[in-house]
Amino acid sequence: MKSVDSDFSPSSLSGLAGNFPPRVLLRASGLTVRFGGLLALDAVDFEVREGEIVGLIGPNGAGKTTFFNCLTGLVMPDEGEVRYKGQLLVLRPYKVAEAGLARTFQNIRLFPNMTPLENVLVGRHCHTKEGVWSALWRGKRFREAEASARMAAAEFLDFVGLVPDEDLSAHSLSYGDQRRLEIARALACEPGVLLLDEPTAGMNPRETQAMLELVQQIRDRGVAVVVIEHDMRFIFSLCDRIVVLDSGCKLSEGTSVEVRKDPRVIEAYLGISPE
Amino acid sequence: MTPVPPSASHLTSRHKTNWSEMWRSVLRLSGRWRFVLGIAGALFVWTAAFSPWASFAFGYPGKMTLSGFPGGARVYLLPLLLLVSLLFFTLPVGATAGVRAALGLLFIAGYNFIAISWEGDGVDAVAWGAWIALLGSLLLLWAFASFLWEEADGRSLSGQTAGHTAVKLPDPIWQMLLVFGGVPALLICFVYALDVEESSRFVSLICCLGAGSAALSSLGFFNWTSELLARQRTFAVILLLIAALVFPFTQDGNGYWLRVLISVGVFASAAIGLNIVVGLTGLLDLGYIAFFGIGAYVSALLSDADFTTVHVRVPFLLVLLIGATVAGLVGIFVGAPTLRLRGDYLAIVTLGFGEIFRITMNNWNGLTRGPNGIAGISDLEIPSLFGSTPLNFGDAHEVFGVSLPNFANYYFLCIFLFIGMAILFSRLGNSRIGRAWMAIREDEIAASSMGVNPVRFKLLSFALGASMAGAAGTVSAHVTQQVSPDSFTFMESILLLAAVVLGGMGTIPGALLGAGVFYLLPEKLRAFQDVRMLMFGAALIIMMRYRPEGLIPNRRRKAEFREEKSRFSAGFLKGTGELDLMQQNPVQEGGT
Amino acid sequence: MEQFAQQFVNGVVLGAMYGLIALGYTMVYGIIQLWNFAHGEIFMVGAFGGLAVWTALPESLAENAFLALPLIFTAAVFTATFTAVLVERVAYRPLRSSPRITALITAIGVSIVLQESVRLFYPDGKRPQSFPGLVAEGNFSIGDVRIPWVSLFIVIVAFFAMLLLQAFVHATKTGKAMRAVSQDPDTARLMGIDVNRIIMVTFAVGAILAALAGVLQGMKFRQIDFHMGFLAGLKAFTAAVLGGIGNITGAVLGGLLLGITEVMATQYIPQGSAWKDVWAFIVLIVVLVFRPTGLLGEDVSVRA
Repeated sequence: MKSVDSDFSPSSLSGLAGNFPPRVLLRASGLTVRFGGLLALDAVDFEVREGEIVGLIGPNGAGKTTFFNCLTGLVMPDEGEVRYKGQLLVLRPYKVAEAGLARTFQNIRLFPNMTPLENVLVGRHCHTKEGVWSALWRGKRFREAEASARMAAAEFLDFVGLVPDEDLSAHSLSYGDQRRLEIARALACEPGVLLLDEPTAGMNPRETQAMLELVQQIRDRGVAVVVIEHDMRFIFSLCDRIVVLDSGCKLSEGTSVEVRKDPRVIEAYLGISPE
Repeated sequence: MTPVPPSASHLTSRHKTNWSEMWRSVLRLSGRWRFVLGIAGALFVWTAAFSPWASFAFGYPGKMTLSGFPGGARVYLLPLLLLVSLLFFTLPVGATAGVRAALGLLFIAGYNFIAISWEGDGVDAVAWGAWIALLGSLLLLWAFASFLWEEADGRSLSGQTAGHTAVKLPDPIWQMLLVFGGVPALLICFVYALDVEESSRFVSLICCLGAGSAALSSLGFFNWTSELLARQRTFAVILLLIAALVFPFTQDGNGYWLRVLISVGVFASAAIGLNIVVGLTGLLDLGYIAFFGIGAYVSALLSDADFTTVHVRVPFLLVLLIGATVAGLVGIFVGAPTLRLRGDYLAIVTLGFGEIFRITMNNWNGLTRGPNGIAGISDLEIPSLFGSTPLNFGDAHEVFGVSLPNFANYYFLCIFLFIGMAILFSRLGNSRIGRAWMAIREDEIAASSMGVNPVRFKLLSFALGASMAGAAGTVSAHVTQQVSPDSFTFMESILLLAAVVLGGMGTIPGALLGAGVFYLLPEKLRAFQDVRMLMFGAALIIMMRYRPEGLIPNRRRKAEFREEKSRFSAGFLKGTGELDLMQQNPVQEGGT
Repeated sequence: MEQFAQQFVNGVVLGAMYGLIALGYTMVYGIIQLWNFAHGEIFMVGAFGGLAVWTALPESLAENAFLALPLIFTAAVFTATFTAVLVERVAYRPLRSSPRITALITAIGVSIVLQESVRLFYPDGKRPQSFPGLVAEGNFSIGDVRIPWVSLFIVIVAFFAMLLLQAFVHATKTGKAMRAVSQDPDTARLMGIDVNRIIMVTFAVGAILAALAGVLQGMKFRQIDFHMGFLAGLKAFTAAVLGGIGNITGAVLGGLLLGITEVMATQYIPQGSAWKDVWAFIVLIVVLVFRPTGLLGEDVSVRA
């Protein structure tokens, strides 16, 4: 753990001055989840710093998605806590989103019968306040808020490379566009940390490359990213730091070089020790 | 529901094809014969329209024994025949439309054939005109169907592709003119249909209209009109509104249809509330009529009825507010503990609540007078805009020299109620709140991960829907002048839900049309009083099978009912991740 | 105390019938997540099928319980199963991939059609029909508690039916396939299970149990009508939810609990009988609020 801290070099953080280590945004400590007798997560500690891209890898069933679900309140941890910017998070999905954690899903979960723009507008939910009366009265404030929300949503769509089309529903988008729309929707929450669950699953190399660039652009906007992925090339060329999970335990943590050399990681993936 | 196993459904469909292929091979026609038969069929139908259908006079409506003029149901053959004749020139694209129109002709002929032989005690009562009509429509059906078969064999389904092509519209001026002509034409049709008295004529008319619209719809006509209406929405709404306001002046002081339309209006208003709950938020409420009932009872108790237990009279506008508030509060009370549950549980809990409400009203003699209900609810009185004497809804009025029956007052009130509900629905629907509702409907987990508090918004939707029903209920109590528990049975909830679903979920015209169908048709189909419910049940099954998105669907949501959700296929596209590490493990920095 | 025991027995009898119907709901829900709203009508159709055959029997045969009973049960089971399978095939199967609300509205439509068909087409179906008692009238006593022979018969039939069902679901190949389909229809299909057939069998088994309940209900109350399926169906569904939907043991337990609650509430709460039909729903709401998955927990595999 300590060695990781000292080895970590925030090369990409141009905005941060001097030797100050970047601020920790998200810190999960001792997260434990049990499904009946199965220990899905075993006291996992995890942290994300400002401007970082963290990869979360591990064999199938290692607990990666459970870990995401746990961070975002879809699964209640049996033990442990999550802090965001030092504040203890109430682990309910909408509270987590309000606090500044947004996510995508492994099996895309868009709102299939809404337009792409509407999908992103739902992402703006936390950043708009208009209530029933305001919506009924349609005063100046409402119209302005609605207009600015639409502007922002269109910008996020544009950012991921989609165009708003009023006659199209999200489910008729291509697979890659659906993935990107999901990211735009999550970005619309203006999160501090974005959690991506297998963003390149089912993509061809060209789309994967585009996704890689997109994630880097997201980081350049000042959003820290945690990404679960099985595509190791993607992970190793993208992430500043990699965390390896296996059977619910944190197996290893470090830069891509360190992780690849770690005998425990190799054993977890290949089932035998190479030594 | 679980996705259909594709291979299994494939098997059954192949099995079906074999069976129908046998028929096709027998009935297949070559190109020339199709036209010969088609033209012969059209001529037969044309002749039939002017020939006697009943062999002796026994009171079958429409002077069906006379030849030389298309009286009674016969006249409805003509528009369809015209359509069919035009469709000949559009073949093969119009084959589907032709089949539908020919089916309409067949239904008209068949229905009248059966009805005449039924009422005339035997097939002897049927004259040659009806036989020819049957024969002609069958020939037409055959001719058009053989076109369809050929297309299906040649795998070039040209008629079906009309749905997705871009719609071309004329200039805005022409658009407005079309709307300006189309809306009144539609209303004239409507008023004309109301005036059709005999059930034989009415059923034939419905067959004619239904088959005609089905045929036009396969040509993409309704995509075009919905696009047109979407562009010219404001204009069309204003026209409709004017027409609705003018309607009472055309009734010669007769209140019958006004009364029917009032109940349509009241239920359409309630249906809009239910549309928020079911259509926008996707919550299944099977006890919705209870909230309507709460409003009605509140209104009945607070208006000093003849048979009441509470002797106060509260101004109506206040009653409206109280009714809506009480219903909304009860909605919160019922919803708060149950909205966390899964959809089906909510359905049964709301159903249970509906029954509890009805039984409570039945037993609470001290307040609600039990099964007798509260009768003699007085007419509404609201402060007049023009004078010091309040406006009493029980009075007939003279406006612009035309005498309006007292029901006209309630009719106008209902229009205002409906407009209010429609504004509420569309404004909330097109806002942050509406989007949150829809997001919950589409995917609750994803919605909550975007910061939408699902319980809070579901509760808001449920309570709002409840209070809208309550508001409609307060008006309804004054219209019917009495309330009793048996007006708020489970069947009424189902009727409202069916109105919403059949009309088209999540749309205002759908709610209006659905309520119209369910509260107007029974009036027109009195001859079928006994089998009414049977027909209703069968209609539900058939609609859900063949047009689950409703009569006027939300343009985009249509797909939900038609296509498999893409989400299901997502799982299969996933690559196997583990192997990647093994292949790429050799150190190869930044390889991409 | 004596009264309590007496009412308890009545509750068990009522609950056994609820349980029999609830099994059909719970199995169908477990396998295709459909609230088969028309199941109550299958129960009613079964009873009418039994009655029709009994009416047609020659008098000498009709009076002989040992001969008439098997015939009635067979006829009821046959009618109900045929109806249920037909409904599944015609109305539900085309809608397997449709949204929930579409299927539920279809189910409601089916329910209306079945009710109205019996009302219109059964001879004099608009009025309640009297049903033969068949089992010896009179009671036997345990202590001070008097138990009608009919009630004993009902409990015995219900008990054995449930026993057979357990054996069927757990020991036969079809039963295992059924459980596999309820876990994951796609995988089950890949394993070579004919999912459509299994779903049909599920409907048929539910219909058999409902038909038994229909005849038993007729024998107990000596009267059936076209409307009886609605409330019985609702309460049975409530029972299934109470026990934890998809859970076979739960359905029986829920039925018993509901039957006993209803009888006790009617007896001990002032004016209870006027509120007879409310208790089921109140119990349901209370249970769902405090234990949303039902008493024994759901058996429906929830896929995230």
